[in-house]
Amino acid sequence: MQITFKGHRWLPYLLLSPSVIVVFIFFIIPSAESLFYSFYRLNITGTRKIFVGVNNFVRLFQDPEYIDSLVLTFFFTVSVVLLGLGISLAIATVANKRLRLFNLYRTLLIWPYALSPAITGIIWALMFDPAIGLLTNVLNRLFGITFTYINNSTHAVIFITITAVWKMLGYNIIFFLAGLQGLPKETVEAGIIDGAGKWRIFWKITYPLISPTTFFLLVMNTLYSFFQLFGLLHVATGGGPGRATYLLVYKLYRDGFISMNTGYASAQSIILLVFVSLLMLVQFKLAEKKVFYGT
Amino acid sequence: MKQSTLILLALLVLPVLLLAMPQQEKETAYSLPAGVEGKGTVTFWHAMSGSRGKVVETLAANFNAEFPAIKVDAVYSGSYAETVTKGLAAVKAGTPPVLLQSYEVGTQTMIDSGAIIPVFNLNRGEVDMNDVVAPIKLYYSVEGKMYSMPFNSSTAMMYYNKDLFRKAGFNPEKPPTTFQEIYDSGKKMVDTGIAQGGLSFGWPGWIFEQMHAYHDQLYANNDNGRGDKRASKVLFNTDFSVKVLEEWQKWSRDGVLFYGGREYKANAPFIAGQFGMLMQSTSSLAGAIRDSNFDLGTAFLPRMPGYPKGNSVIGGGSLFLMKGHSDEVNAAAWKFMQFLFRPENAITWHKGTGYFPVNYKAFNELDKQGWFKEDPRFRTAFDQILSGSTTPAGTGVLLGNFVQIRDIVQTAIEEVVVNMEDPKATLDATKAKCDQVLADYLSTVE
Repeated sequence: MQITFKGHRWLPYLLLSPSVIVVFIFFIIPSAESLFYSFYRLNITGTRKIFVGVNNFVRLFQDPEYIDSLVLTFFFTVSVVLLGLGISLAIATVANKRLRLFNLYRTLLIWPYALSPAITGIIWALMFDPAIGLLTNVLNRLFGITFTYINNSTHAVIFITITAVWKMLGYNIIFFLAGLQGLPKETVEAGIIDGAGKWRIFWKITYPLISPTTFFLLVMNTLYSFFQLFGLLHVATGGGPGRATYLLVYKLYRDGFISMNTGYASAQSIILLVFVSLLMLVQFKLAEKKVFYGT
Repeated sequence: MKQSTLILLALLVLPVLLLAMPQQEKETAYSLPAGVEGKGTVTFWHAMSGSRGKVVETLAANFNAEFPAIKVDAVYSGSYAETVTKGLAAVKAGTPPVLLQSYEVGTQTMIDSGAIIPVFNLNRGEVDMNDVVAPIKLYYSVEGKMYSMPFNSSTAMMYYNKDLFRKAGFNPEKPPTTFQEIYDSGKKMVDTGIAQGGLSFGWPGWIFEQMHAYHDQLYANNDNGRGDKRASKVLFNTDFSVKVLEEWQKWSRDGVLFYGGREYKANAPFIAGQFGMLMQSTSSLAGAIRDSNFDLGTAFLPRMPGYPKGNSVIGGGSLFLMKGHSDEVNAAAWKFMQFLFRPENAITWHKGTGYFPVNYKAFNELDKQGWFKEDPRFRTAFDQILSGSTTPAGTGVLLGNFVQIRDIVQTAIEEVVVNMEDPKATLDATKAKCDQVLADYLSTVE
């Protein structure tokens, strides 16, 4: 049944207006500004603008630094998402049992998520500090590994990946746990009666049933590794050594806020927007086929 | 559907059109009217963290006590690069601080920004610029004029761990003076296992610039940007530049160079005794003396034989007065700059940090007090800069958007010493990138 309110032609617009205004001020205007500036070269205080057409975009794709950063970000995102989801699903499956102090564990697990990326960076940078780091010393004493993320690129990438995965772990686990606890018992029991082993039950029943959760987390983690690691990179590696951890967001920051190339950085933000939109589109298209939302 | 798409498009295009409207620029030479009493709040954005920041706060508090009508509000604003860019962003937003500390790298950019009131427009003889220590005055003079007030000036020198030197069997009073000696002594420390590395440095890009100036090699054209035109090309892909990076790469490959990261990151492992030598800013001296529990020595930077003698470059920062404030506030800020220049305050600053005492009066006073006899380490850097040449190459480079160029060079150095990229190829690519930065910069200021 459809309800209509006669004589209130403008009411819906009025009711919508707060969110429209917020979106307009915080999303549309800045995006439009970026779009505008992406066709210009500006002086440092923004008082002089030179129209350069699509030159910023052309330069961007001719810049090996940008291409490298793009590739790095892609591989980094894939590893963070795969590792993050894999580990947290494993932990959630184990945790989804009647354990003593279950609530305590659950609370402890969500803690990392409450930290800001910068704080996470500081904590892990301290633990992996080449001179005084706890983990560095443990690795050195037990396995004879000299782990120095400051002067070894591979170590830097490993370091950032571990930290990034750890940060999202709690968040992922909580969602997986919620998904697992919402599973219909009957289906699993039917599987057991049919003689399926634990492994088989997991892959054939549990995993498809929690696919909406997995898909949601896939989207969130992708966005996270694309956009939210700035604080972590900034306090821990600064994109280095060399360009070892120079992800797209960090390049954007350096070009925009350290080098003050407003135009060039705006072009990057536009590309990033398009890129992430495409990624989401692909993910949602795939999700239509693979994700099972129940009957 | 069609209509809503149109509305959406209109929403997107409208702000663009608004932005595209021409903005008015106005340019007037400011000079402080005579007889204006300084009063009000002077916001002072600086980049002095840790123990340096505490000394800044002490100086501001002393000033506020002496001039009750003025309140200097010293705010730590992050790293040097962040402080400069934050300051310029604040100019864009119309809310600039009154005083902004810019590191030496920001000098040309700040002068060209059109957002500052040059110090020479304020000075009616209250500050005798001829009393500024010569290399510092030279560094901050652009076309013979002081646009900013020298405040924290440093240079790079070498710190070394005398205890490790003794352990390795070296004479602790004879630190290495050449690249080869650095390599040999570092190698021995590593090979005998008494240290994890031989040497490290902070501010890699800056040390690279130092090496050019120290061997009297130009870093950019037009006399290092100090000629009649701004620099338009960098010159650091010469044989000399390649040689420096080749040496560093060799050190790194053989474990002599323990690359410790940017800025002051290498200080902690040096103080922990992980390697024997550190090339770092003199401003780390007071902190290093306090924190290290070994016998700390200081020495001149090492040289490569066969090149002329230049000078080590002045680093650190100076204070810029930003436009957009009342005459009273400008006068107040100028009072504060004079206060910092007074010998007793310059001495407090020097003793608390290791930065140079900025003027000769302060230096002579320290000498009279016997300060340098008591701890000659505070004199090392002074002797180093006063024994160098005053050629443009030795004075140090001025570049537009040097913040970005420094950043690009630091990345390149890491590519060479950490990722073992080819020095020549890396420097060629880096030069091309930096020349583009300069071309872009010049296109917006000229």
